[in-house]
Amino acid sequence: MNNLSEKDVKHVADLARIYIKEEEIPKYMVNLQSLLNEVDKIKDIKGYDDEMLITPVNHETIPRKDEMKETLTFQEVSYLAPKVSGNYIEVPVMIHE
Amino acid sequence: MDTYKLTAGIEVHCELKSKTKMFSDSLNEYHSAPNCNINAIDLAYPGVLPSVNMYGIELALKAALLLNCQIQKRMYFDRKNYFYPDLPKGYQITQARTPIGTDGYVEIMVNDQKKRIRIHDIHIEEDTCKNTHLDTCSLLDFNRSGVPLIEIVTEPDIKSDEEAMLYLEKLRELLLYADISDCKIEEGSMRCDVNVSVSKTDILGIRTETKNVGSIRNVGLVIESEKERQISLLENGETIREETRRYDEKTNQTILMRVKETGNDYRYFPEPDIPPVTLEDTYIEAVKKSLPVMPDERRELYKRAGIQNVNIEKIIQNKMISDYLMDLNHINLVIASNLLLGDVSFYLNKHSKSLWDVAMSKENFESLVTLLDTSKMSSKQVKEILPEILEKNTDVNEILKRDGMTQVTDKTFIKQIVDIVLKENPDSVLEYQSGKDRASKYLMGQVMKQSKGKVNPAIANEILIDTLNRL
Repeated sequence: MNNLSEKDVKHVADLARIYIKEEEIPKYMVNLQSLLNEVDKIKDIKGYDDEMLITPVNHETIPRKDEMKETLTFQEVSYLAPKVSGNYIEVPVMIHE
Repeated sequence: MDTYKLTAGIEVHCELKSKTKMFSDSLNEYHSAPNCNINAIDLAYPGVLPSVNMYGIELALKAALLLNCQIQKRMYFDRKNYFYPDLPKGYQITQARTPIGTDGYVEIMVNDQKKRIRIHDIHIEEDTCKNTHLDTCSLLDFNRSGVPLIEIVTEPDIKSDEEAMLYLEKLRELLLYADISDCKIEEGSMRCDVNVSVSKTDILGIRTETKNVGSIRNVGLVIESEKERQISLLENGETIREETRRYDEKTNQTILMRVKETGNDYRYFPEPDIPPVTLEDTYIEAVKKSLPVMPDERRELYKRAGIQNVNIEKIIQNKMISDYLMDLNHINLVIASNLLLGDVSFYLNKHSKSLWDVAMSKENFESLVTLLDTSKMSSKQVKEILPEILEKNTDVNEILKRDGMTQVTDKTFIKQIVDIVLKENPDSVLEYQSGKDRASKYLMGQVMKQSKGKVNPAIANEILIDTLNRL
């Protein structure tokens, strides 16, 4: 892993929505670099290029038939919803398209 | 401007026609009230586990076989992670590494030449919930959440808007005929993402993706509009960005939505909650054998039966009629198809019914066609009795006896009627002899009137003209 730059640290802080002071940046550069070096050790594991392990158990999916079973009522659904509007669940607008 | 070459690829999402969802046993139904076909799996309640709908796998396998794909016999599922209210789990279950089908193709006819549009892959995934954006909030309907989908991805083989539309029409036809999807674009059960790039060389240009295009025609318009926009940018010295756009029908232009995500942004990883699915050779073979006769083979069959091309296309566009015709035995398919496309369709449309809703049995319909074919009945008579056959399935031979409708083909009897008519209408005979062709039509009408519509019109006309010419 190449050494982190000040710009990298600022970008990570920005992504994590953490405010850091300018004078704290060198400290985080060291801390973050140390973490990344640890993660980089994964590359040393033998067999890295082997087939990806999908599941540790050796069994197949047991598929189900295309048959309908019980569904939730809207009352049950709305119980856990923050807000409802008619039969809809209402949420804030995430992205204005 | 003309030196730019267009290249397009299309990703089609199709909802599968299963009763229940892909990974949960709640109902897969479009027309229900919002948020009534959902369960704890669709809403990602803590601790729930997905279960694979085998019928969803079967439908996807049918699609992969029809698209001439290599079948992935041992499949895994993957998680595609993103954060958005339409996906309460925070990830979509999909097949990133082991799609059910790869390296297939669809054949289209471009200017009377066969062209293959290669299929990169076809994979199974689940649909997200329906999100309706208002000014101040978004409304969620989870009925669509978890509905089985297949995504069919082409290679960049499409070179024009026409090819794109031909490919989509062919794809739609295949999926409809195999009962894989109802392909109702207006209900969102078939959605297209269109990738377009332009280049002056053989190296592909930077592509943009236009999402959720709502009709086959609009896919053509998107390709044309995006081609013009990109060429205009390049001609002005600007560069194309890899981005996601949407199509605005009102302005016939694509509009920027966002700079495109890459695979890394989705952090794909194997879905640990679903063990692998293995498709045995015997199972694949059985699914292959269960596929119905597909449109191209039907076209050939209809052609051999003597049906005109224009009617063949009308039949193919109406799967109900096509399926009905395929079940008929040892009858004249030209007459059967004319009846089905004409009087029968008129009745069905008028009463908003399908061929499966009416009482008429196939055997009775076959008898009707045979009577027409052997000139024992006229088209006019069929028109009169058809509603009764469709509604009550009264035996057509019984109706003939009951109403005395049997068509007369006895030439001696018909000749007697012709002679009477000619004797009673000397002026019309003179008109015919002086070259006025319409006189023969009037006389033919009189023959039908005299026989109360019972004589076979073709035979009667032949005898009438022959008699007139001998006078």
